[in-house]
Amino acid sequence: MILEGAIRIPFKYAAGRAGSRFLVALRDGMRIVASRCETCARVAVPLRTLCPACGGDDLAEVEVGPGGSVIAWTQTPDAGSYALVRLDGADTAFLHRLVAAPAGCRIGQRVRVRFASSRRASILDIDGFEPVTGEGR
Amino acid sequence: MNEAILVPIEMAATWRYASGAAMERFCDGLRERRIEALRCGVCRRSYLPPRPICGNCHAPLSEWVSVADEGRLEAWTVLQVPMLDARTGSIREAPYGMGLIRLDGADTTINHYLAESDPARLAIGLRVRAVWRPEPRGAMDDIVHFEVLR
Amino acid sequence: MRHVAIIGTGQTDYASNRSDASQPELVREAAKAAIADAGLRPQQIDAVLISNMELFEGRALPELWLGEAAFAAGKPCLKVATGGTSGTSACISGFHQVASGLFDVVLVVGLEKHSEGQTQTGMALTDPFWDRAVAAGALGNFALSISQYMAERGVTERQAAMVAVKARRNAARNPHAHLKMPALTVDEVLASRPLAHPIRLLDMCPQSDGACAIVIAAEKPARRLCPRPAWVKASATRHEQPYIGDIDRRLVTMRTLRDAARGVYERAGIRDPLHDFDVAEIYEPVSYAELAWYEALGFCREGEAGRLIEDGVTAMDGELPVNPSGGVLSSNPVGASGVIRVAEAALQIHGRGGERQVEGVRTALVTGYGVYAWADVVVLGAQP
Repeated sequence: MILEGAIRIPFKYAAGRAGSRFLVALRDGMRIVASRCETCARVAVPLRTLCPACGGDDLAEVEVGPGGSVIAWTQTPDAGSYALVRLDGADTAFLHRLVAAPAGCRIGQRVRVRFASSRRASILDIDGFEPVTGEGR
Repeated sequence: MNEAILVPIEMAATWRYASGAAMERFCDGLRERRIEALRCGVCRRSYLPPRPICGNCHAPLSEWVSVADEGRLEAWTVLQVPMLDARTGSIREAPYGMGLIRLDGADTTINHYLAESDPARLAIGLRVRAVWRPEPRGAMDDIVHFEVLR
Repeated sequence: MRHVAIIGTGQTDYASNRSDASQPELVREAAKAAIADAGLRPQQIDAVLISNMELFEGRALPELWLGEAAFAAGKPCLKVATGGTSGTSACISGFHQVASGLFDVVLVVGLEKHSEGQTQTGMALTDPFWDRAVAAGALGNFALSISQYMAERGVTERQAAMVAVKARRNAARNPHAHLKMPALTVDEVLASRPLAHPIRLLDMCPQSDGACAIVIAAEKPARRLCPRPAWVKASATRHEQPYIGDIDRRLVTMRTLRDAARGVYERAGIRDPLHDFDVAEIYEPVSYAELAWYEALGFCREGEAGRLIEDGVTAMDGELPVNPSGGVLSSNPVGASGVIRVAEAALQIHGRGGERQVEGVRTALVTGYGVYAWADVVVLGAQP
């Protein structure tokens, strides 16, 4: 005997100090903010309260992108394409959709963040990464 | 001061649970307004709900025994705040009674709803009887609730 | 097995809504405070345990999102999700890890953010064939058990209300506590909103956001780093059968707690709990439970719990202060609540309980409680 069921549960997560600043910067300034660690100098995106490389928490806020280079990408049959991109100025990679690239892209491709026209302090205030033509590997 | 952003996400969860043989037989019985428990061959305790092994003896359970649809109220309360129905996600409005009922023939009690929702009219020791749904379908809610026999 | 001790603790402030901080930020705050309190650097932590009920916040793998914040990246990290006992069971797992000799320093962090999720739903997503149709949630579960306890032992609503008053008045002296009510009265408790007969709003624990962490160390680092380590004398965990109806007269008998306590008392040399313990931090989700557990833990004879609270035996100036922190009745981020009990008992032995410090604590009792009748018991001492 199989019992089937379904339930819908609403959640509301606090983005926190760093997450809130990151999302507000997307919404209000179309800026991507990251952390530069004053101990080891690594830049992590999105903005954090602790350095993923050395664990330090003395961090400065810096802007990265909007350009960057593809370090990995994939195409799925139903869910679109995704890319891991190292934004200019960042040491960590950032995952988002790959847009306006029907034929996919290649490792090293230059891309640029495309922002949504209507934004509400969400990660989807970024539509995705758009290949930039004319800039080589 | 930072604007504190809250990210809303609605989770839609669906599932398909396999009942196992014991629960399947129990639910088939409910469809015929029949309640059966599983008795442990070692300690002789009759378990409702049925399950594959006796937790105390670690022995597999296979002896089915008949259990009446009435028994003794061993514990009770009246919920005075609305509670979430975990099967549907909708709210069950208050007040409503709940109890632990030792059905005649079983050694464990079962938790279920009570028709009575006035605390002044509930007490440990009352006799209660199942009120069945007009068309049972083989699930726990084939019993709508237990009514006090007065 | 070698001796282990708690040498550091860290707590966030508890509140109904900590929307100012993300889950990792709260974990980070507690973990950082505990490691600093222990006199260590994060690199010196050998392993991490995370206590959290993932279903309450609806995100899988808490140890993934929270692990980095708990300094666990690159280290062994395990999650414990056992209802209310998550925190105490995680601490006990930490004790085992250090006692085994395989790890010298272990961090345990507990977290819950009830404000972000649906605790009722998480509690209700148990057995799909039975409980989801007819379970009454934590509230109904307690209320059913209380009806049996009152009938058999004669405790009154007034006596239960005295427990609730003691808790919130104690909490007023705990800077981290959620419900601080220094002037709460029995009449106010008895006049508060009815929830499930006979439980009223002020009889019940709150749902809180917050995190709490402890650092457990082996004997050598403990003696080097901590002036007064809180040594783990003994600990035990007991689970139970799956359905509330399997458990005979739960609050009255509570066989899991009695069983765990019996073994722990024997190993820790406790013969007369009321006098051998200097302080107790017990996990009391509802006022009546604390009374039932005075009896189960041997603070008094069966049926005498009401007299104990009326005579002030468990008040701050009584023979055995119970829950100087305010207990679960005052602060309840479920994944953290058990860690808070251990941390608060350790603070008492460390002699750093601030305004809630009981004088001359050498032996402390800790309990954890979860689901229908799971129980943890721990005894801490000023000597190993």
